[in-house]
Amino acid sequence: MKNNQIKSGQEDKIKLQEVLSVNEVASPELKRKILRARAKALALEVKDESAQQECIEIIEFRLGSETYAVETEFVREVYLLNNFTPLPGLPDFILGIINIRGQIISIVDLKKLFNLPANGLGELNKIIVLQNEKMEFGILADFILGTRSIQLTSVQTSYTSMPGISSEYLKGVTSDHLIILNAKNILEDKKILINQEIK
Amino acid sequence: MDTKEEEFLKRLQAMFKIEAQEHIQVISSGLIELEKNPQNNMSLELIETIFREAHSLKGAARSVNRNDIESICQVLETTFAKVKNEQWALTAEHFDLIHKAIDTISKMVSEAVSKTSDDNRELIKMLRSITQSDQPVTVKKLSKDSKHDAQLPAEVPSAKEVVMEKKSSEEIVQAELKPRQLETVRIPTEKLDPLFLQAEQMIQSKIAFTQRTIDLKNIYDFVGSWKTELRKLETRHFTDSGLQLKEIINWTNEKLDETERSISTVVHAMESDQRSLGRMIDDHVDSMKKVLMLPMFTIIEVFPKLVRDLARSQGKEVELIILGKEIEVDKRILEELKDPLTHLLRNCIDHGIKSPEERLKIKKTAQGTIILKFTVIDGRNLEISISDDGAGIDIDKVISAAVKSGVVLKDNVEKISTLESFALIFKSGISTSPLITDISGRGLGLAIVREKVEKLGGKISVESQPNIGTTFHLVLPQTLSTFRGVLVKSAEHFFFIPIFNVERVLRVKDEEIKTVENRETISIDQEIVGIFKLSDILGLNDRAIAKFSQKGHKASSSNLTQLLVLSQGNKRICFKVDDILDEHQILVKELSRQLKNVRNISGATVLGSGKVVPVINVSDLMKSAMDSALSTGKMGNEIQLAVKIYKILVVDDSITSRSLIKNILETAGYDVTTAVDGAEAFTKVLAGEFDLVVSDIDMPRMNGFELTAKIKKDKKLGELPVVLVTALESREDREHGIEVGADAYIIKSSFDQSNLLDVLNKLL
Repeated sequence: MKNNQIKSGQEDKIKLQEVLSVNEVASPELKRKILRARAKALALEVKDESAQQECIEIIEFRLGSETYAVETEFVREVYLLNNFTPLPGLPDFILGIINIRGQIISIVDLKKLFNLPANGLGELNKIIVLQNEKMEFGILADFILGTRSIQLTSVQTSYTSMPGISSEYLKGVTSDHLIILNAKNILEDKKILINQEIK
Repeated sequence: MDTKEEEFLKRLQAMFKIEAQEHIQVISSGLIELEKNPQNNMSLELIETIFREAHSLKGAARSVNRNDIESICQVLETTFAKVKNEQWALTAEHFDLIHKAIDTISKMVSEAVSKTSDDNRELIKMLRSITQSDQPVTVKKLSKDSKHDAQLPAEVPSAKEVVMEKKSSEEIVQAELKPRQLETVRIPTEKLDPLFLQAEQMIQSKIAFTQRTIDLKNIYDFVGSWKTELRKLETRHFTDSGLQLKEIINWTNEKLDETERSISTVVHAMESDQRSLGRMIDDHVDSMKKVLMLPMFTIIEVFPKLVRDLARSQGKEVELIILGKEIEVDKRILEELKDPLTHLLRNCIDHGIKSPEERLKIKKTAQGTIILKFTVIDGRNLEISISDDGAGIDIDKVISAAVKSGVVLKDNVEKISTLESFALIFKSGISTSPLITDISGRGLGLAIVREKVEKLGGKISVESQPNIGTTFHLVLPQTLSTFRGVLVKSAEHFFFIPIFNVERVLRVKDEEIKTVENRETISIDQEIVGIFKLSDILGLNDRAIAKFSQKGHKASSSNLTQLLVLSQGNKRICFKVDDILDEHQILVKELSRQLKNVRNISGATVLGSGKVVPVINVSDLMKSAMDSALSTGKMGNEIQLAVKIYKILVVDDSITSRSLIKNILETAGYDVTTAVDGAEAFTKVLAGEFDLVVSDIDMPRMNGFELTAKIKKDKKLGELPVVLVTALESREDREHGIEVGADAYIIKSSFDQSNLLDVLNKLL
């Protein structure tokens, strides 16, 4: 499916180039024809896009040696980690707090949550701020690869056991070993919410 | 289309809820007022208001198809029309019935679904009987009502979020004053909150801008001194070969002059920008703060009815006088205050004010009075006092209950001052005891009240005299967002401590710190106050950090110790920190949504540099300190107990892990001895009296398993607990460990200090 798309996109491009090159020596009638062809060529792309229905937009990031992704639906923003303030007495998966334009945001270290080996904080550390109606926090990423759309059908949901990562945190894995996290479940995990009430 | 309509209906219903609650509020405060002054010249106005509100509520209910509510309102409207037009007096029973009707409506409003009117038929019948009891509702009467219907424009609730309205509620509460006509815009607070955040953030930009101006000024000064140096060179005599150099210097000087001039222009511009920007930001933040300030009466509207209902249900007569309701307070504080104030009022009625008969017996008026007074003190704090003219607090009963629940030792009863015994009523320890709840009831509720008030950075106290009355005093900051804090450093971390709780700051010589029963103490005003290390209580015992700061400490500030005396209620505890740096006006922000409650931390603030600094929750911190004292068994409340310092032998062949473990244990207050292998350890164990052994497994000469087995086989040592700490993670090893009799087995890869300390705590 994906390959087909790329192919058809390339074909459109070639067609477009053809009509463009004729343009210079065209009569009005021919021009109209070319314009129509051009419109058609451009229209094809739109049609193509609407055809891919079950797509999700994701943001890909690196964590240690693995590539992970979350759905952009749950991403508020991406922020560069300059410095952070650790808080005493919190579980180790909470790195600390940062200030994003006047708002305090807590940072979750997924490596700790997933029991991955830590490799220190580098200069390229980014924060992906996840949010839904009830919860909001940043997750630490080694670096961000970018965003793209993937088709839901390409996500293998049966394979949901990864060493260290509990299955409710996973949405699935793609054929190219991209691990898609279940941001909704991570946000709603009771373990994530810190409520240390004192007697 | 359907979903859109549904959505619209939903919005409409939400709007109706808000509107209806306002009408209900006005009606019930009107009723209270009316009942208080039935023959007042104000009463006509009140009746008119109630009538209109009932009418509006009816209209609103109709527009969202709430026939159930509509039908009750209809009867209410009829009743008040009659009262209005015929000067018809309502009896106390009538008032009860109308209040009941209002409560029913209020309940119905909060339920989303329309009920069949059957459920309310009884109520409507009874309401009807009010007017019928005197004379039957005539046809003429009805037509009069319908005339009123026609006169009043049918009110339809607006679905828009912004509603222009006259502050009718204010009119009612402030009826004695001439009501101000205020144009208001209703804005959801969720839209205001980000605005407030943005305003706050501008403060940081202001601070940053000031810093940039200073930086630029420094560059300017630098250029100046550069020029001076060059001039000095210029005045020297140059040889022929130096001529070229002189030329370079001249050229540089010209360029420097030019640079200096342009920097100077920018500096001046920036300074003036900084001044105007600073003023703009200050004004803006001030206005924003005011937006979030609401007058007290927004939460106390419900109190007159609450007091009336409660008093009535207990057969008491109580008048509530509210003073200073126009005082404005940060919305966030207001919201938090509602519950504590309700608790306190309840207490006044439940336990303070006695029945009319009892009151008359001691020559008081049958009607009790509660005065709820709000005042602003020192220009920025809010003082709330709640006084009743009731029986007062029975100190003896409080003390005996406290003794029973073990909060106070019997022998100490004599020593307790009146003030201290009043403070006892806020103790949750007592409150959980059913006894005190039975005697006075001032138990759990008051502990919660205290908690809430302290969380807001406030204080609560109580005064009471037998048969004269009781007064609760609450002092709170008027705005939540800013207060002054002391910046301290502990184990390389920075914290702010609200100045509200800082009794004093001390720099003392080591000689002044006395060790009493293994706990460091200091004498303040002839009172012995325990000293805790802030980093210990917060659990900041990172080894590397502790070591580093210790070194720095020794080198820099000689043998002076920095102490903060914190107080909360009548409790005082001294905290040792590495450094006390500054006092700031700080803006406290909530920790993130994820961090709902973090022990010892109430929020965070952002410094001018952009650094985020946590703010200490002193109430928690004091509790944590007491807990730590209790758990290590070092100090009871004020009574110190003799305590044993446990001796621990650490066995490891690696110097790194040996000193790591040693350090952790020493910081936790243990007395640590080390050994490099099992053989040495066993000799030491035989010679010295240890309480526990922590041992590695892989060691030369005698390994951990052998050592454990040897210890466990020894008759004298058999009971000595052994903890194995190891890099080996196989199950066989674990089993082997158990086999030889180890009491605990900790794997190094999952090793963290709390883990080890937990295990030790369990074993010792």
